[in-house]
Amino acid sequence: MTAASGVRTHCSYCALQCGMSLAPSGPGIPGPGGRAALPVAVAPRDFPTNRGGLCQKGWTSATVLRAGDRLTTPLVRGDDGELAPSSWDEALDLVAARVAAIQAEDGAGGVAVFGGGGLTNEKAYALGKFARTVLRTPFIDYNGRFCMASAAAAGNRAFGVDRGMPFPVTDLDGAQAIVLLGSNVAETMPPFVQHLAGARAAGGLVVVDPRRSATARLTDDGPDGEAGLHVQPVPGTDLVVLLALLHVVLAEGLADREYLDARTSGVDDVARSVAAWWPERAETVCGVPAAELRRVARLLADASPSRGGRGAYLLTGRGVEQSTQGTATVTAAINLALALGLVGREGSGYGCLTGQGNGQGGREHGQKSDQLPGYRKIDDPAARAHVAGVWGVDPDSLPGPGLPAVALLRSLATPGGPRALLVHGSNVLVSAPDADRVRERLEALDLLVVCDVVPSETALLADVVLPVTQWAEESGTMTNLEGRVIRRRKATEAPGEARSELWILAELARRLAPAGLPADAFPTDPAVVFDELALASAGGPADYSGLSHARLDADEDAAGPGLYWPCPATPPELSDPARGIRRAEPDNSHPGTPRMFLDAFATPDGRARMVAVDHAGPSDDVRADAPLYLVTGRVLQHYQSGAQTHRVPELEALVPESYVELHPLLGTRVGVPDGAAARLTTARGTAVATARWTDAVRPDTVFMPFHWSGAGSVNRLTTDAVDPVSSMPEFKVCAVSVEPFAPADLSDPARGSHRAGSDASLDQEVPA
Amino acid sequence: MTTSPLRVPHRIVIVGFGMVGVRLADELARRDTGGALDVTVLGAEPYEPYNRVLLSDVVAGRTDVAAIAMPLPDDARTTVRREVAAVAVDRVARVVLADDGTRHPYDHLVLATGSAARVPAIPGLDDAATGPASGVRMPAGVHALRTLDDAREIVAATVNTPRAVVVGGGVLGVEAAHGLASRGLDVTLVHPGPAPMERQLAPEAGAVLTHGLEATGVTVRTGARPSEVLVVGGRAVGVRLDGDVREPGEVLGAGLVVLACGTVPETALARAAGLPVERGVVVGPDLACPTDPRVYAVGDCAQPPEGSRGLVAEGWDQARRLAEHLVSLAAAPLPAAPPEQRVPRREHLRLPGDGGPSMAVRLGTLLSSRAPSARGVDARGTDVVKVKAGDLSVVSMGVAGAGAGTAPGQRAVRLADPAAGRFVEAVVADGVLVGATCVGDARVAADLVAAYTRRTPAPVDPAFLLLTPVMPSAAPATSPEQMPDDATVCRCNGVTKHDIAECVADGAATADDVAEKTRATTGCGSCREAVCGLVDWLDRSRRSDDTSAVEVAAPR
Repeated sequence: MTAASGVRTHCSYCALQCGMSLAPSGPGIPGPGGRAALPVAVAPRDFPTNRGGLCQKGWTSATVLRAGDRLTTPLVRGDDGELAPSSWDEALDLVAARVAAIQAEDGAGGVAVFGGGGLTNEKAYALGKFARTVLRTPFIDYNGRFCMASAAAAGNRAFGVDRGMPFPVTDLDGAQAIVLLGSNVAETMPPFVQHLAGARAAGGLVVVDPRRSATARLTDDGPDGEAGLHVQPVPGTDLVVLLALLHVVLAEGLADREYLDARTSGVDDVARSVAAWWPERAETVCGVPAAELRRVARLLADASPSRGGRGAYLLTGRGVEQSTQGTATVTAAINLALALGLVGREGSGYGCLTGQGNGQGGREHGQKSDQLPGYRKIDDPAARAHVAGVWGVDPDSLPGPGLPAVALLRSLATPGGPRALLVHGSNVLVSAPDADRVRERLEALDLLVVCDVVPSETALLADVVLPVTQWAEESGTMTNLEGRVIRRRKATEAPGEARSELWILAELARRLAPAGLPADAFPTDPAVVFDELALASAGGPADYSGLSHARLDADEDAAGPGLYWPCPATPPELSDPARGIRRAEPDNSHPGTPRMFLDAFATPDGRARMVAVDHAGPSDDVRADAPLYLVTGRVLQHYQSGAQTHRVPELEALVPESYVELHPLLGTRVGVPDGAAARLTTARGTAVATARWTDAVRPDTVFMPFHWSGAGSVNRLTTDAVDPVSSMPEFKVCAVSVEPFAPADLSDPARGSHRAGSDASLDQEVPA
Repeated sequence: MTTSPLRVPHRIVIVGFGMVGVRLADELARRDTGGALDVTVLGAEPYEPYNRVLLSDVVAGRTDVAAIAMPLPDDARTTVRREVAAVAVDRVARVVLADDGTRHPYDHLVLATGSAARVPAIPGLDDAATGPASGVRMPAGVHALRTLDDAREIVAATVNTPRAVVVGGGVLGVEAAHGLASRGLDVTLVHPGPAPMERQLAPEAGAVLTHGLEATGVTVRTGARPSEVLVVGGRAVGVRLDGDVREPGEVLGAGLVVLACGTVPETALARAAGLPVERGVVVGPDLACPTDPRVYAVGDCAQPPEGSRGLVAEGWDQARRLAEHLVSLAAAPLPAAPPEQRVPRREHLRLPGDGGPSMAVRLGTLLSSRAPSARGVDARGTDVVKVKAGDLSVVSMGVAGAGAGTAPGQRAVRLADPAAGRFVEAVVADGVLVGATCVGDARVAADLVAAYTRRTPAPVDPAFLLLTPVMPSAAPATSPEQMPDDATVCRCNGVTKHDIAECVADGAATADDVAEKTRATTGCGSCREAVCGLVDWLDRSRRSDDTSAVEVAAPR
């Protein structure tokens, strides 16, 4: 099947959004292993992010369309406590009635909404609008709080705007040096590795990770044989590494003084703050030899344009961001990039590697508790007036800021907290930290409504489950990790009665029919929703007003360069809702913004703000009864909570169960042989996983991937302590004890668990 | 505001604007969000605060002088009086008198006066040796390394003189000697002990360090001490040696003499105020003077029960503890409870026994209980000595030095490798590392510090601590013959050598054929070369008469 013959779309998984074509497969093409025929066949497509490459998840993505347990009708929990099929009318009437009843008793805040970074821009926008105009609840947040919030907070603070990569990913190709901090791209977005080839060939790839991950191994040698550098800090100390690198840059006179003078503010405070982080002191905290820190700093400086290099990039990922000092760590990376004069220069820069498929767009259109479309602040009167104008409602009817995800989940069914929750595109029971506590809160709700494509762990707890369309069954847009707005196109019909969330929101809006909301407030045509989104975003930091589905299609048809926000309408007054213009009719001449900050930053004075930060260490640090670090991460074959990938036999066969990596020296010390079951205990809970011995982890650290629920769920162990600025939880590091697991332990629930009863579910879920 | 607006702010006066005094002011400002404190700092030096620890880096040319400036206390919250020296304390009136005639009343007084360089009482330095070096004129060319002026003058002197003598082989002397040698000077390190840094290093480790220094161009003269600094026309021209000398009255010619003979706590103010002073200002576990609970001492001038090593990490940790204490005093209703119960519960601070998260602290990840006890505080994390000498790696911590690891319950293992310039010793007790010495292996040193400061479980056999436990990554076998059958060739699509062999056995002849069937090479593409090589080899093997190779790779 050639690419040209299928529907051009993008992969269903991560933010790299690899180009692929979906061709209708005839009845003659059976699914793998004799399973039901798949409706489409996947073929890779040449697109700048993936250049025709696909990882195993992408290749097998169509399998999820016909997952054996795909939801095809609404389900309602009956009096017998079981979920049973129902009609759409029955299910929607029930949801509307319960929502209305709860709000009548508790007020608007009795109902909360939880969104997802995998939703299209249109759905994310509609969901935020639904929460604010129909439910009128302040309580909406989304799972992007778990992955993007710290980088977003740091980016907004430093640059005045947050676009993960403010440059095309292909710009990385020419760099002399790339420093990856807490990012395992070789497993999380494999085709991305192509863009590291140039730096690898120059011996300029540096990977900072406490684990020798697949990505860290890329530093062993480049395509031409020159080795890069794997920096392996003690978990939770990446910030110290960055502070020491900046110390060396300043101490050795390697900074770009001209750039600092012309384009930044705050450098003096930052320079003073890193005076306390000389490499030898940093070594005693982060465990990275001082000489290695100096080497990395010099390598970066040599690659910097001000010193005649071919360009350098600093890229951060969840490894450094999912921390109680995640915002500080990203800030330190930005400070370093600014000191070297990298940001806003073609061929150099700082970027955050967005994770979820629409992790970028998902954070711009109003799913966040403190935000309105266009990346506007919900407490800004001008923003409220603009958006209310587009929505045709009274600005005073819009709620104020709600609670960020972890606080929102904690508040569920507590006195004064929401009693109902609508979940869209998220499997919070597996993906949120301190999972046992999340389960308690969800079970205590009066109403849990989950929209999903499969019966996820969260859906199975719901009172009402609504089957929705996915990926190849729908049209819309996504914004990839570069800030490039791309089209998702429909290639096949959804099975059974699955419906788009746009339709579900429209139906619920019709039933709840709040006073003062226009009757046509929830269109179901994604192209129409996009036009409204564009209008709502006009003038905001993430301005889409010059874009439309038609323009995106035309650009792609013409093999154009792609369209990146901000892309304002031209002339701008055409998108002024205050003048009653409801549909932008711009001439679409703004080319979009592939590279941001070339002339100025989006701050009031146009300068990038450098902010001094300091290291405080993890919230849950090692101690006598939990003497080891637990770090979490991903494997190539699975995605997020695994709701999709556990339903793909090829992927499941390769990595069928959770596991824990530990160093042979540690395995010997704690008496857990390779292949044996290990019990891990933290202050929050207990998990059991199969031990894998490897010297890729430090002897003071164990690693678990997070794609599983049940006994092997690492999020039963993680802490829900959050970053004070971004409210992002500290998934990546906590203190743990490890001991051999004997099935006999099950009979004694008190043993090893700090929470009575938390072992209840272990019985069925112990690894074989 | 956490405090009543009617409440009068607590007045805190800090005497000393060095690294610890500044840090204390900063720690107070961070914690005092309610404005309950009124903090004044008196500093005799005219400079902005700077990082004294980095003066040896300035001498070595490793850092710009501008880069050692430390954060200034928040103006709005803290009154800093620079070039104002405290001259007396009236403890009855609770007032500090300054040399500019100003009076500074306090509720709590903190002495952070630091220490001065010790100057040996030998001819040539007679005048200077009558007291601490501060303010006393020494001959031109002779410098302690204590202040920014010292460092600048030493750097200036290196331009004009080819030879230098460093007196004293402690940490600072070693750093200074190494730094001057790296500037190309002919440096002699004169040290009366048997080997440099004998406080921290066992003799064998000291010998390795000596060789390391000599390899960088430093002549090490152990067992020798200066008996006189020769001065001509007010300038130093050499040092006469005593002890282990090559000839009686031996003279080392040198236009630059750096004194690194230790320090003397600055205690004059405390002594004059009638506070107990021994080597330093005597303080209890809570850093308060035993005879006046309103007066505290921190940093180099203090003498806490656990002793002082003169490391900045200790002083900064004291500053943090004292700040917590003072803020809690200001916040607590009077009369206050005993100090142990007055420390406020903060999310990141772990108090003994509460089992919550610990504040791992900016400094050394102090995971031990930091609460004062009768025998002082556990110094773990603040007692790591790491020499700053470029590629010459020297680290010592906890139980270390001559005779380390001989106490009951301790087990010491060591690796002596003098020919390679390496010495590693690890001391384990109760399953954790309680001390270590490492010379000449930066990677192992970093791992030892991490294990020591965090008390992570030591290997069953502590000998594993002597080598890096993370093996240099074995390059994946790239030759098709050596690759194990289950080795993953294409990560992106989970394709093993076995899968490819099956493909070739089924007739695939090119990498593209293999890609068609297995999707190998269709992810990031970096395995393409490996797949091509494998296909060629398998294909050749299949065609050749000798089929044994195929059997090796055949399906299991």
